[in-house]
Amino acid sequence: MVNIEINGKPVAAREGSMLLEAADEAGITIPRFCYHSKLSIAASCRMCLVEVEKVPKPLPACATPVSEGMKAYTRSPRAIAAQRSVMEFLLINHPLDCPICDQGGECELQEMALGYGNDVSRYAEAKRVVHSPDLGPLIATDMSRCIHCTRCVRFGEEIGGMMELGAPGRGEHMHIATYMEHSVDSELSGNVVDLCPVGALTSKPYRYSARPWELQSHHTVSPHDCVGTNIRLDSRSGRAMRVVARDNEAVNECWIADRDRFSYTALEHEDRLRKPQIKRDGVWQECDWDTALTTAVEGLKQFAADQLGALAAYGATNEEHFLLQRLMRGIGSANIDHRLRQQDFRDQNEQGPYPALGQPIAALEQNDAVLLVGSNIRKEQPLLAQRLRKAVRGGARVMAINPVDYAMAFTLAEKRIALDLVSELLAVAKALLEGSSEAVPQWLTTAIVGVAVEESHRAIAGTLRAGKQASVLLGAGAQGHPAAAELRAVANLIASLSGAHIGILAEGGNAAGAALAGCLPHRGAGCQASDGIGLDWKAMFAAKLPGYLLLGVEPEYDCIDSAAALQAMQEARFVVAINSYASVAMRDYADVLLPAATFAETAGSLVNTEGQWQGFNGAATAPGEARPAWKILRVLGNLFDINGFEQNSAEEVRAELEAACAQLPAAPAAWQPKAMSRLPAGLLRIADVPIYAVDAMVRRAAPLQTTADADLWQIRLNSVTAEKAGFSSVVEARLIQGAGEVVLPLLIDERLPDNAVYLPAGLSATVGLGGGFAAVELTHA
Amino acid sequence: MNLFSILKSLTLKELRGGLAVTGRYLFRKKFTVQYPEERAPMSPRFRGLHAQRRYPNGEERCIACKLCEVVCPAMAITIESAQREDGTRRTTRYDIDLTKCIFCGFCEEACPVDAIVETRIYEYHGECRDDLLMTKEKLLAVGDKYEAQIAADRTADAPYR
Amino acid sequence: MSEIRNYTLNFGPQHPAAHGVLRLVLEMDGEIIERADPHIGLLHRATEKLAESKHYIQSLPYMDRLDYVSMMCNEHAYVMTIEKMLGLQVPVRAQYIRVMFDEITRVLNHLMWLGAHALDVGAMTVFLYAFREREDLMDCYEAVSGARLHAAYYRPGGVYRDLPAQMPKFKGASKWHDESEIAALNENRQGSLLDFIEDFTNRFPGYIDEYETLLTDNRIWKQRLVNIGIMSPERALQMGLTGPMLRGSGIAWDLRKKQPYAVYDQLDFDIPIGTNGDSYDRYLVRIEELRQSNRLIRQCVDWLRQNPGPVIAADHKVTPPPRTEMKEGMESLIHHFKLASEGFSLPAGEAYAAVEHPKGEFGIYMVSDGANKPYRMKIRAPGFAHLASLNEMVRGHMLADVVAVIGTQDIVFGEIDR
Repeated sequence: MVNIEINGKPVAAREGSMLLEAADEAGITIPRFCYHSKLSIAASCRMCLVEVEKVPKPLPACATPVSEGMKAYTRSPRAIAAQRSVMEFLLINHPLDCPICDQGGECELQEMALGYGNDVSRYAEAKRVVHSPDLGPLIATDMSRCIHCTRCVRFGEEIGGMMELGAPGRGEHMHIATYMEHSVDSELSGNVVDLCPVGALTSKPYRYSARPWELQSHHTVSPHDCVGTNIRLDSRSGRAMRVVARDNEAVNECWIADRDRFSYTALEHEDRLRKPQIKRDGVWQECDWDTALTTAVEGLKQFAADQLGALAAYGATNEEHFLLQRLMRGIGSANIDHRLRQQDFRDQNEQGPYPALGQPIAALEQNDAVLLVGSNIRKEQPLLAQRLRKAVRGGARVMAINPVDYAMAFTLAEKRIALDLVSELLAVAKALLEGSSEAVPQWLTTAIVGVAVEESHRAIAGTLRAGKQASVLLGAGAQGHPAAAELRAVANLIASLSGAHIGILAEGGNAAGAALAGCLPHRGAGCQASDGIGLDWKAMFAAKLPGYLLLGVEPEYDCIDSAAALQAMQEARFVVAINSYASVAMRDYADVLLPAATFAETAGSLVNTEGQWQGFNGAATAPGEARPAWKILRVLGNLFDINGFEQNSAEEVRAELEAACAQLPAAPAAWQPKAMSRLPAGLLRIADVPIYAVDAMVRRAAPLQTTADADLWQIRLNSVTAEKAGFSSVVEARLIQGAGEVVLPLLIDERLPDNAVYLPAGLSATVGLGGGFAAVELTHA
Repeated sequence: MNLFSILKSLTLKELRGGLAVTGRYLFRKKFTVQYPEERAPMSPRFRGLHAQRRYPNGEERCIACKLCEVVCPAMAITIESAQREDGTRRTTRYDIDLTKCIFCGFCEEACPVDAIVETRIYEYHGECRDDLLMTKEKLLAVGDKYEAQIAADRTADAPYR
Repeated sequence: MSEIRNYTLNFGPQHPAAHGVLRLVLEMDGEIIERADPHIGLLHRATEKLAESKHYIQSLPYMDRLDYVSMMCNEHAYVMTIEKMLGLQVPVRAQYIRVMFDEITRVLNHLMWLGAHALDVGAMTVFLYAFREREDLMDCYEAVSGARLHAAYYRPGGVYRDLPAQMPKFKGASKWHDESEIAALNENRQGSLLDFIEDFTNRFPGYIDEYETLLTDNRIWKQRLVNIGIMSPERALQMGLTGPMLRGSGIAWDLRKKQPYAVYDQLDFDIPIGTNGDSYDRYLVRIEELRQSNRLIRQCVDWLRQNPGPVIAADHKVTPPPRTEMKEGMESLIHHFKLASEGFSLPAGEAYAAVEHPKGEFGIYMVSDGANKPYRMKIRAPGFAHLASLNEMVRGHMLADVVAVIGTQDIVFGEIDR
């Protein structure tokens, strides 16, 4: 500790910390623009000039390290004069935009001008005008307002991994721009809106729609990925107007992904269900809740209990998952599933209580070796990727075994790009076993026979083993793999052989909560063994169940095997959908539509990937007669005359669930694969879920759908595969998978391995196609 | 009681004095203003019915900055804003609830573009509450009709503001 | 023989002599008042509570609506409290304008009181004459602020706008008045507002003489007021009476002299006091106050004529910048924007400032926690204490005297109920 004095007050500061940081900790405010605790120090705005004893000129507090005995004055006449002068300079070129600027009212420049600036302008000359580049559909720019704090540029370089923004020019000619005139395509780009202290970078969807003083802030949690990002949803007379980041060092620090920030734009989508509807003779009729609920109950009651199936969305709240499974089990059916993006359930009984990261999110930064398996982490969990990026900047080595050479925001130390993830993992395991005498299960010894180990496998193995803190992380590609059970088994062994953590980067927003709530065929709430093992979704579809209850899912989009889902729904005789939106297909196959509130409009809780429960209350008013889904389920339970549906608030439901989860059973023994499954030969489709297709809400967020990340309506091949199949110079191709087919433009993409066709799931174009890692046929359109 | 005061009392002196005052006024010119044929003088600063103004080219002045909405002590103003096709910031709704308004004039003081003004109009009525809700259209109509007077009053008062 | 009981009489709130919404429950022994129990709250608008959710500036127009016949005096106390907490210097010209309008307000109030009091007691004419003079003064109000009653003219740091150089004029001949008559009406409106006020001060003493001719020696008036509602000086002090209610009892207490604020210490005026503490003395005190106010207005007019200058402090952290600057300078625009949207903050602490309001001591007690809204605001309304003394003042009098006492107390419910 260094002892200094600020404004005559003795302050003990950390060694090496800056004067401004020491002042912040002591509760002394120093004005600043360019300083941000999460970014490097630029000292470019000079707003934090303070007087330091024995120094002839005022010093920028953000770039002045503390030293023993230093005496600083933040409000001395010289400091005030310096701050005033800086403020005057900053305002010289600032346009008189306050009345039309979205930042007005929450603008740091306004606040500093009021607190530290002059009250009269002495500047009468012309002001500078700067061209405003088009940064795409999310960020609006008014660069004349820029004060060159370069927070956005530093964010891009240091956090977002986007080098698109820069500050070319010097002095009067300095301006913030994209180096080439193109939009900013980062999944974290929206954070520059929060960072910008003035109104130069603002949110485009929010543009001109509200003033900060009209907004009511609600603390809530984003349900679009497993991070549990803390967000603040600002509403104006019940309407959600915008989402901004909420600080939580343990989860998302101060960043949020664009998906979290802009998904609210779907709240007023035209697909939104506003009134309960029932289908009579093939015609949809709006009706009151009583009629809709009785129709739903009567319709479901016509089948034997075990002929009913329930599918839930990953992103539904704990309360909804819990009541859904209680309802189904109360009726007498254990056919409940939420794992629609997985297709391999052989090891379901041996899995842990919930898909867990296995370490705190913040601890990801401390890893020095990470192996990603089947994970496009940057697009799936942008904020976890950001943590890894930090680790990489600190010297960590991140490696990947992926079916696609996904663009990461950091350099991968090693990468293996292949369709057959199992063999790749086996090779790593084999490399780990080279020169090791550790006892391994029999099946592994058999499985690694004949697996070719390459140098890169050895490098991966070596890095993992050498890492003081290492992790093996299974992404969506691994979990959705047809041989996911084997992948998990091998990955577990690799982790234990190398001393690494094993972690699952769960799909969807609340996979952990769904598992804990017992929204699974084989386990009840709190992972208690289910009385009677029900059917997983694959078995349900195969069994051609006649009755379905859907909670927040659009199976044709959300299920990895869209073809099977669509067929099952169409063949079912009675489908009740509790959903916020109704897709075209759903209007075709459903019989009762019960309008549900989205996460923004209901109270509930989510469990994130590190197992943290985060509750929230409704922030906006649900449109029309839409109601929170837990209330709908509660009434359905009453109508079915089942006990345990007397809750009056989401908190009561949560309390019951928490009680059930108080004592989680120990992890069961590991699953032993019998033989390694093989992928089919020929062209295989890679069908991951793109960042902006993860759930019904995101799919309808118009601004997100116009970003480059949503531009995936192509059939992609690498040049070798294209050549081999004779598609090198083809513009359009037809992809046939089972009974489904689609014609789309063809794109050569060298990130793919040989024999792979990349066409993502979850797009309306790919509804009716089968799942990933399955054989497809490519013909000329 | 001295003799003088008894005399004063008996002669009803003070009552006759009072009657003399009223009597004089009986024959004087009347100072009554015969409303509505005649009007009392009105200051250019008068704060009456609101109006929304336009620029001479017909473009509405209001830029939806919402300063009038936030400064309004009675919360009588409701504004909704959006981006117009040409990219400018405009109101999609601008209501003044005259039943809430206290005519303090703060909206006019807050307006950076002289869009919302209080005019000399004080004789307006409504037959239902809805009539007293001034919508954007109504406000612009008032502005269009009385622009000459409004502009003259602003000019007259400009040196003082 | 039937049992003789006191009976209770409900007086108001729908009574023309109840001065608004006073409800009195009178306990009567025949026609003698045994007890008078004023009920308040019918005009309660939670001004103090509302102020806690508004910027300091936003509460200003609500001050007009407290004692709605002495608007600017209420505003004065409010802005003085804020200035006291901010340590803000008010330009001298603004202080003179404030004093001038405080005294105009006092005249307005006393004329209203005089007319209503006389009307209550049975004299109609004075009411009409008093309103004629009020019309001229309300024209002054309108000329500076744009409103005849609820001016919202004082601002922390000064007043909103300088006095206009022109008075609005009567326009157009009608079948009632021809051109020459209109010209005669406009005769005193040819110059500035100050000229108009000066003309008024020249005419006004004559008008006061007329009121006095009608009332002061009038036997009915005296019969109704002399020895009615006597308040001893000791009791008056104990009851917290202020203003003419206290001075009528012979105590020369006037904040303008005792705790001079604004520029009262630079001006020459006298404080009239009564001897008996009855309603008639209070009448005489208020009539003399009209003359003294006229004197004060006259002195202010003379000073203001010779001393042009700023009328609001130039510290734009508190006072909005002039409009031309706001439209040209970035700093000014930001300050304008922030003052309109957030207002200014007062340093944490508390302050009380009071003015000699036409009715007595009107004070604002403000507690700030450093935010842009008061943590608590308390209004010290003189009428509240006066109404509390009503019971004592009417006890033993006849029913008809209640009306006279209400009149002499100069009750206005806007401030009592707030």
